[in-house]
Amino acid sequence: MNLFVLLKMVPDTVEELNVAPDSPALDAEFLRFKLSDPGEQALEQALLLKEKHGGTVTVVALDAPEVDEVLFTALAKGATRAVKIGGDWSRLQSFAAGQILAAFLKAAGSALSADALVLLRSQAIDDLEGEIGPYLADELGVPYADVVTGVTVTGNSMSIIKEFAGGLRGEFTLPLPAVLGIQSAEKPPRYVPIAKVRAALKSAKIETVDVAPPARLARFALERMYKPEAGGRAQMLEGSPEAVADKLVEVLVQQGLI
Amino acid sequence: MKSDPVTLLGPAGVGVLWLLTLLAFGIFGRRIWQLIGLLRQGRPENRFDQWGRRVAHFLKHVLLQPRLFNERSIGAPHFLIFWGFVLYATCFNWSLLRGLLPFLPIPYPDEVKIVSFFLEIFAVLVLGSLLVATMRRAFFAPPHLHLSLDANFILSLIGLLMLTTLFGSGFRLVAEGARAPGWSPFGNVLAELFADVPAASALKLSQAMWWLHMLVVLFFLVYLPYSKHMHLLASPFNVFFSNRGRLGDLSVQGTTEDFGSGASQWKELTWKQLLSGLSCAECGRCDRACPATASGYPLEPQQLIQKIKKHIVKAGLSGKPAADAHEPKLIGEVISEAELWSCTTCLSCMERCAVWNEQVPLVVTLRRHLVTQGAVDRTVQDMLANLTRYGNSFGKSDRMRAKWVQSSGLKIKDARKEAVEYLWFVGDYASYDPRLEEITKQTARIFQQAGLDFGLLYEAERNAGNDVRRVGEEGLFEMLKEKNLQAFAKAKFKMIVTTDPHTYNTLKNEYPWNGDGVQVRHYTEVLDELIQQGRLSLKKKLTGRVTYHDPCYLGRYNGVYDPPRRVLQALGLELVEMPRHRHRSYCCGAGGGRIWMEDTPGIKERPAENRIREAAALPEVPTFVVACPKDIAMFRDAIKTTGHEGKLAVKDIAELVAEAME
Repeated sequence: MNLFVLLKMVPDTVEELNVAPDSPALDAEFLRFKLSDPGEQALEQALLLKEKHGGTVTVVALDAPEVDEVLFTALAKGATRAVKIGGDWSRLQSFAAGQILAAFLKAAGSALSADALVLLRSQAIDDLEGEIGPYLADELGVPYADVVTGVTVTGNSMSIIKEFAGGLRGEFTLPLPAVLGIQSAEKPPRYVPIAKVRAALKSAKIETVDVAPPARLARFALERMYKPEAGGRAQMLEGSPEAVADKLVEVLVQQGLI
Repeated sequence: MKSDPVTLLGPAGVGVLWLLTLLAFGIFGRRIWQLIGLLRQGRPENRFDQWGRRVAHFLKHVLLQPRLFNERSIGAPHFLIFWGFVLYATCFNWSLLRGLLPFLPIPYPDEVKIVSFFLEIFAVLVLGSLLVATMRRAFFAPPHLHLSLDANFILSLIGLLMLTTLFGSGFRLVAEGARAPGWSPFGNVLAELFADVPAASALKLSQAMWWLHMLVVLFFLVYLPYSKHMHLLASPFNVFFSNRGRLGDLSVQGTTEDFGSGASQWKELTWKQLLSGLSCAECGRCDRACPATASGYPLEPQQLIQKIKKHIVKAGLSGKPAADAHEPKLIGEVISEAELWSCTTCLSCMERCAVWNEQVPLVVTLRRHLVTQGAVDRTVQDMLANLTRYGNSFGKSDRMRAKWVQSSGLKIKDARKEAVEYLWFVGDYASYDPRLEEITKQTARIFQQAGLDFGLLYEAERNAGNDVRRVGEEGLFEMLKEKNLQAFAKAKFKMIVTTDPHTYNTLKNEYPWNGDGVQVRHYTEVLDELIQQGRLSLKKKLTGRVTYHDPCYLGRYNGVYDPPRRVLQALGLELVEMPRHRHRSYCCGAGGGRIWMEDTPGIKERPAENRIREAAALPEVPTFVVACPKDIAMFRDAIKTTGHEGKLAVKDIAELVAEAME
C-alpha cells in the first residue's frame, strides 16, 4: 500500500501556556511542541497496515519547531520516508494547510494511486474542528471519513469503524484512494527504543521539499486570544456536619429549591 | 598377605578395568566437550582479568564455602561432603592408576595407613552428612529446594562409595587376620563384626568392595554431567569467573559489540551467562530470598537459570534438528515476559547464591531485548516517553523540577552559576512527588543549618537513569547520562549528595568521572559526617524505639549500612533490627522499574506489605525509618493497605534529624 501520514505539531500542555502580551497568539517563551496524540495514533495505524499489507509509509509534516525529532522517531518506528515541507507556517489556517498538503501529494503522484491511503489525526488540541481532512480530500477529489478507530483493507476498498457520540460505532465501506481522520489506532502506539531513534538520526534522512504556498495562508483574522474567564464561584461550607447541613438547607431554601 | 584388588577377575581384571575406564572417561569427556562447545557459542566476555582477586575469591568460596553456611542445617554437611569428595576423588584416581598400571611400584591409597585413616574418618563424616541431607530433604525441606529424584539418587551413590570403603577395609583386615584399631578405626569395628568370615571369602569380599567402589565412581563420572551434580564441575569455574567488580554490575567487559539490544536467543547470552545453569545446584537459596517469588509474582530466579540450562542443552546438544523442528523462543516460550518484568533487581538472589550466579544482569539483558522490540507495558512506556521528553518519570515540565525551592522560602544556590562544595542531585521523587515535598524541604533546611555549601542543577537535572537502565532501556539511560554530564560540566562542585539510593548507585558506579575525583555520597553519609564533626546542632535528644529499613541500592549494592545507624544512635533513638536487615534486607518492591508497573493481579501480598508486617511484629516499635524517597511512597502505602495506620509510622531519617534540631 501507499500510505501517507500527515503529522501535526501541537503545543505541549505540560508546559505553562500563556497568551503573548502583544499579539493574539501563545507566548513563545515557554512554548514547546510535540506530535499531537491522535497524530501518533494515525502513524500507528499506518504502520499496522504496512505490516499487514506491505508497501510504504511516508510521513509528511509542515516545518515546525521540534518536528525533526518527531520525523526521526517515525522513521525509527518503521516509516519508509520522512518529508518536511519547508516554509514558515506559524500563521497557517486549515484551508491553506489542506491546499499545501494536497499540492505535495499530487506532486508525489503515487498519492492518488489505486492503493493509496492518506491518514491524519481527526482532531488536534489546537484544531478541534479538524477541518483540514475534508479540505484535503476535497482538493484531492477522494472520499473522506473521520473519527476512525479501525481500518480493514480488502483489495481496492476498505471497511472502517467510525465513532459517534454516546459510544455508538458505525461500519462504513470506502473505496481507495481516500483520506482518513484517525481517532485511535487498533493497537496502542508502539514504543521505540532510544537506540533506534539515534540510529535513525545517523543513518536516515529527512527530505525537505518546497511547495508553492497558496495565495492566502489565512482566511480569517484572529482578534483575541484569552484564558477562560471564571464564571460562577463555588462556596465552601465549613464547620461541623450539623452546621454544614444547616447552611446547606439555608442555601437550598434561598435558591428556592426546597 | 597382600593381594591386588584387580586379581579378583584374574589377569583379565586389568583389561576389564581398562575397558571400563576408557568407556567411562570417553563418555564423560565427550559430554564435557559438548558442554564446553555450547559455552563457546555464547557471546564473548572478558572474565580473565584480575587473577589475584579471582584466586583469592576461589579459595574462599570454593574451599571454605561461607555462603553455604548461611543455612545452618546444610552448611556443615555440604562442607564435609565436598571435602570428602576431594579426598575420595584423589584416592580414586590414585587407585585407578595403580589398578591400570599394576607394575607401578606404589601401594593402593588404603594401604597407606594415614590415607586409610582419613578415608575412614571422612567416610563416617560423609555418611553422617548424607543422613542429615536426606532427612532435610525428607522431613524439613526448605521451600524451593528442588526435591528431585536425581538428588536422592546421587546421595545414595555417594553413600555407597563410603560404605564400600568401610566394608572393604573391614574385610581386608579379616582376610589378613589383622586388626588396626588406630589406623582403621571403623574398618576395625567391621572386622570384629565379621571375624567369622573365612579369610579366603573375606579377601574376595574386600576385592569385590574395591570393584564396586570403582564401578560406582566410573558410573558417577558418566552420570554426573547429565545431573544436577554438574555443579560440582562447573561451579568452581563459575565462582572463579564471577564478576569481581561490583555486585550487580551490568557492564560486559572486553567486547566491542553493542549489548544494548540485549539477547533474543541463547547464543546472544555471554558464555558466562550460559555457564550459570550448569553451575546451579538447585538449592533454592535465590528463590527463598526473592521478594517477587515470596509475593507470588511469576518469577523464581532458580527456574530462570534452570530454564536456560535446559533450553541450551536441548537446543544445542540434541543433534541436528529436523527441518521442521521448532526451537522454542527464549523469550516468550522458554521464559515468559511476565517473569522478566517481575524482578525488582534487589540483588538478594545474587547476594545469597552459593555458586555466585548473576541473575539480575541476566534479567536486564533479556529485558533489553523486549525494549528493543517495543514489548513494554503501557505504563512503563508512558514513563519512558516522559523520561525521554521531560527527563523525569512524572511527565512534568523540567522547569518545575525545583518548584519546591520557591515554596520553601529558602535560597538555594544554583551550582551552574556559582561554585559549591556539594551538588545536591535531588532526583525525580524528591523533586516532584507531592508526598515528599516536605521531606525534601526539611533536608534542605538541615543542610543549611549545618552550614553545608550546596547547590542544585535546577531544571538542568535529569533522572539519573538507574531504573531506566534496569528496565532495559540502555539507549535512554545513555541519553539521560549524557544530558546530566553536560549539566555537570557547566557546574562547579567537589562532591555530589543525593537522598535517593537509586540515583546514588548509578551516579557513583555508572557515570564516567574519569578521575575527576568527584565523590558521590548518600545524605545518610553526609549527615553522619556532619554529626561527627559537630556541625549539626542536635538540641533535642529523641527517645524511643525505631527500626531501620536498608534500601537495596544503598545496602546490597553499595554496602552503606553503618552511617544511617550511627545517625539514629546520635539522635538518641534505640534501634531495633528487623530479622531481615543489612545485606538480608527485604526489598520494598519498587526497584528495577517496578514502581512504574501496574500491580500484578492475584499476587499474595506486595513486598512492601510483607516488610511492614515484619516491622509491625517487633515489640513496641512505632517508627519505621527509611532513607530513600521511594520507600516513603511504598511503605506509607503499605501501612494503609495492611491496616497498621496509627500503630506504625514511616519516617525519613531527615525528618527525625529535623525533629532533633528544633
